[in-house]
Amino acid sequence: MAQADEIIHQQTRLKIMATLRAIPQGEWIEFARLKAILQATDGNLGSHIATLESAGYIAVNKDFVGKKPRTRVALTRNGRKAFAQHIEFLRTILEVAEARHDDQEGTS
Amino acid sequence: MVFAMVLSPQDAAGALRDIEAAQARSAQLHGYARSSPQLLLWGVLWVIGYGLQDLLPAHAGAIWGAIVPVGLIAGFAALRGAGHEVGWRYGAVVVTLLAFFAAAFFVLWPVSPRQQAALIPLGVAAAYVIIGIWRGPRYVTTGIAVAALTLAGFVLLRQHFFLWMAGVGGAALILAGIWLRRA
Repeated sequence: MAQADEIIHQQTRLKIMATLRAIPQGEWIEFARLKAILQATDGNLGSHIATLESAGYIAVNKDFVGKKPRTRVALTRNGRKAFAQHIEFLRTILEVAEARHDDQEGTS
Repeated sequence: MVFAMVLSPQDAAGALRDIEAAQARSAQLHGYARSSPQLLLWGVLWVIGYGLQDLLPAHAGAIWGAIVPVGLIAGFAALRGAGHEVGWRYGAVVVTLLAFFAAAFFVLWPVSPRQQAALIPLGVAAAYVIIGIWRGPRYVTTGIAVAALTLAGFVLLRQHFFLWMAGVGGAALILAGIWLRRA
């Protein structure tokens, strides 16, 4: 059975991972756009990104476009895999609950 | 990091709903960001192309024969420059559209320059509406606006249709590009 990933499950980090998962593999999303999508503050988003980066789930790239600094993030291969496993874990919980519910209805 | 985490089915269902909503929003906004430069580019090219066609109607073939390849190459470069993956689908979409319009003109021939100039934007508008049905309401609005403006110019401004398409059609695409970028 798949297991829960407590790093991913935190609500903001879950949304960060889901947002990044929806972008084609190999593409990056800018920090500012991610912030707008999640409606998060700089500090809050930055700290969750740091947590996910230190877990190896996302990669952060900082560069310049002209003279303007740019921060972009993307899911890593490990992040993609861990996120898929976490989703599987969540689905399993629902399936087990449904099976129990069906059993209870069958015996009553 | 993996923990022995206890979650209720309600928590799990809530998390899955959050994931689905975040993915849908992300995919939609990513699509808008990807399409925006294309609309801006083609808006400018419509202004140039239809403007020149109004001035030099006898040279419409040469004008669009130059503008369409420039637009396709610049569109490809814009996608690559923004870091988007551009696979075989870009080429497939271009070939499909060109084949569709070639087939449509063949079936409908003879087609006047004015009809040609209306049919292509109407086809593009229909494509945007179809894309929007799956990918986001802003595409639908863009498609409907382009179609409505094209038809309005075709019916009401017979003598100045190319100028109308240059000014109003091109401006509509540019505004739509800005609107998608700001989503």
